[in-house]
Amino acid sequence: MSVEMLLGNEAIALGLVEHGCRVATAYPGTPSSEILAGVVKYKKQLQRSVHAEWSTNEKVAFEVALAASWSGLRAAVAMKQVGLNVAADPLFSSAYTGVVGGFLVIPADDPGPHSSQTEQDSRLMALNAKVPVFDPSTPEEARLMVERAFALSEELGLPVMLRPTTRLCHALQSMEVAADFGQDPPMPEARFRKDPVHWTATPKLRHRLHGELNAKLRQVEEVFESSDLNLVVDGDSDCRLGVIASGVAFHTAQEALQELGVKVPILKIGTPYPLPRKLVQAFTQRLEAVVVLEEPDACIELQLPDRRHVRGRLDGLVPGAGELSPEIVAAVLAEALIQAGFKVQPPPDDPVLQALVGSLNLPVRRPRLCPGCSHRSAFFALKREFGPRAIYPGDIGCYTLGTNLRAVDTFVDMGAAVSMADGLYQAGRLVGEDRPIIATIGDSTFLHSGIPPLINAVHTGSRFVLVILDNHTTAMTGFQPTAEAGYLADGSRADRAVSIPDLVRACGVNFVRVTDPYNQDSFRAIVRQAYVHSQAPEGGVAVVVANRPCVLYDASPLQQEPIPVVVTEDCDGCRYCLEAFECPALVLSADGSRVDVDETLCVNCGQCIDACFKGFILPRAMLEEVAPL
Amino acid sequence: MNEAGSQPHGLVHHRLLLAGIGGQGVIFATRLLARTAAAMGLPVLASETHGMTQRGGSVLAHLKLGGSKAPLIRWGTADVLLAFDRDEALRNLPFLRSGGAAFINAADELPSQVVLALRSRAIQAHCLPATQLAMALGSSAVANVVLIGYAAAHPSFPIPLERIREALAQLGQELNLRALQAGVGAAPGARAEGRRAMARAAGT
Repeated sequence: MSVEMLLGNEAIALGLVEHGCRVATAYPGTPSSEILAGVVKYKKQLQRSVHAEWSTNEKVAFEVALAASWSGLRAAVAMKQVGLNVAADPLFSSAYTGVVGGFLVIPADDPGPHSSQTEQDSRLMALNAKVPVFDPSTPEEARLMVERAFALSEELGLPVMLRPTTRLCHALQSMEVAADFGQDPPMPEARFRKDPVHWTATPKLRHRLHGELNAKLRQVEEVFESSDLNLVVDGDSDCRLGVIASGVAFHTAQEALQELGVKVPILKIGTPYPLPRKLVQAFTQRLEAVVVLEEPDACIELQLPDRRHVRGRLDGLVPGAGELSPEIVAAVLAEALIQAGFKVQPPPDDPVLQALVGSLNLPVRRPRLCPGCSHRSAFFALKREFGPRAIYPGDIGCYTLGTNLRAVDTFVDMGAAVSMADGLYQAGRLVGEDRPIIATIGDSTFLHSGIPPLINAVHTGSRFVLVILDNHTTAMTGFQPTAEAGYLADGSRADRAVSIPDLVRACGVNFVRVTDPYNQDSFRAIVRQAYVHSQAPEGGVAVVVANRPCVLYDASPLQQEPIPVVVTEDCDGCRYCLEAFECPALVLSADGSRVDVDETLCVNCGQCIDACFKGFILPRAMLEEVAPL
Repeated sequence: MNEAGSQPHGLVHHRLLLAGIGGQGVIFATRLLARTAAAMGLPVLASETHGMTQRGGSVLAHLKLGGSKAPLIRWGTADVLLAFDRDEALRNLPFLRSGGAAFINAADELPSQVVLALRSRAIQAHCLPATQLAMALGSSAVANVVLIGYAAAHPSFPIPLERIREALAQLGQELNLRALQAGVGAAPGARAEGRRAMARAAGT
């Protein structure tokens, strides 16, 4: 045994590989992305035969893994919580059909939210789909729960959810890891067996399967009644207030209670659905008040059989939005305790110091596109070409930050740039408006769910320009390969790469151009041609692929052709470049009189030359040439 | 409830907060300290920020040594704040407990009203122009390691400097070791050597 530091996501990955998962699939999304990367790492380290893939989207990922389970192998699918919406169809259906090999659905929730469009609770999704849930509270427990969840899934033939949250996914915990995991056990005698009653169940049979599912859930609840993943931490024996907590909130609550100086009994729930109701009832029956702490929503609270003394999200004691930070948990518990007549220690907060820091008006650092990012060049050129009157539907990825440059007016979910452009066109047509509609979407997002809306727009005769920002990778989440890349999740070579321009043409688009947004003048000319095509009588949707690798993913084109720049002495500090171009490497001088290049951040892309319409940002080479004069 | 201050190298709870902006190596620094502490046999739990916040936004990492299982540090309870950016240091000062210490990458001193407020809470704030020292070594990217060296040379820092040096040596980057040493050299105990390092930095 040795002690290693594992991210929560890596602990889940190790759990999967060490407990015989043979097929693992995922679509990247914060906070889940390191799970599949971890599977690749540990399958190599433990020398296990595992098929690990970055799938095109979460629905595909779910079904690929599900089929492996139906073939008798242990399988898992990972995604962020909103990805489970994309995979909701097979989630609900597979609860009815059941599974053969242990099958884990691992959606990572994002209370906060830190990097998501919603704070939805995947446990409630599981409740709706009737899938049992494990809710880990630490990376180490998540690893243990993988083993338990696989066993339960196989025992009852059900998909099982393991639901981590951001703080667990990205917690780094020291834990014991075997120095040698031994040889890869032999592949199970697994084959897909035809079974029309399950695998092709018609509505009539589905009615029966639903009944069977309900019976299985009653069995699961019995299993959970005696599971050591649910436990009571005793408080003072005469204490009439108790806490029910799950996930990370359990440990946060324990520390908060210590700090408040009270000994309150806590029921830790590791299996929130189906809720072990007898266990809960036994815990609550002698209490006069019960505070429920869980994230991000009210899954346990909604299932409590006796609701008379329950305090939580539903009665407003616990805030209905946002993360359960230590400060909020302490404040919630203090309020409940004081109301119940307890004396508590004062909080260690320092409001005076907080107010002093607040009065400093520190700059809020919003995320920005990286120096050298080709998305910035594309957005800047689009904005100059089509102006503020145009509508810019955007999408999910780094390029959502185009909103800083006011070149992204909407984002909804993956692929929505295309369908929103379609709908904006149809709505505008009805009311007689002819504003240009310029949509942007990334390469991975286009492949994920941009194709069906593109087919729809072509077929219904919509007219807009779609710019596919192709930076050759899934950049936001850490450079996972797309179907366009020449390699697979484990780094091995892909036999075939999918061509985005070919796909676009196959959708029926007649105007398809591939161009480098770094050449801003020719990029502008091409998007103008695209717009003209979209308005021409015989025209329609026009697509421009802005092709340039992400500078963090592949810096080689920049290294081959660096264009260092200087801001000349003429700069008058008008700040146009700062606001319209927003490169982190362009900074206002201390006295605000001019803009300087921060050489520690600049990557010599030369793109800001176009960002000064007065011509005060110049290639250094040009200045050196004229210097002798 | 935090008795850590008086016995920095013992087996007790320590809470370190690391603050900076995306690209400054906050996660690298957190993992380095976490690995070092784990190698000493301490139970370690750290909490990182990933995703959107890495694109130039504020980055905060919480590092807890000694067996806590709650990932976040609560306001008013951190023993140490390591800040790789002056504004991020100021923003996160309320995390420190009375008697805690801040080590800040800053060329300028903190605002006087802040200095006074910290003094009344027995919070020590140490500023070091770590970026300049790192640039003198050839790369601003190692400013994080310079600041760690500076902090670890201070007696209140909970992880021994020698252990950090060992963990860093395993990474095989000679520049990192020089950066650590530059930070150590700038610490109060080695003020003369620090002045020489800063003079060297200014000279290039």
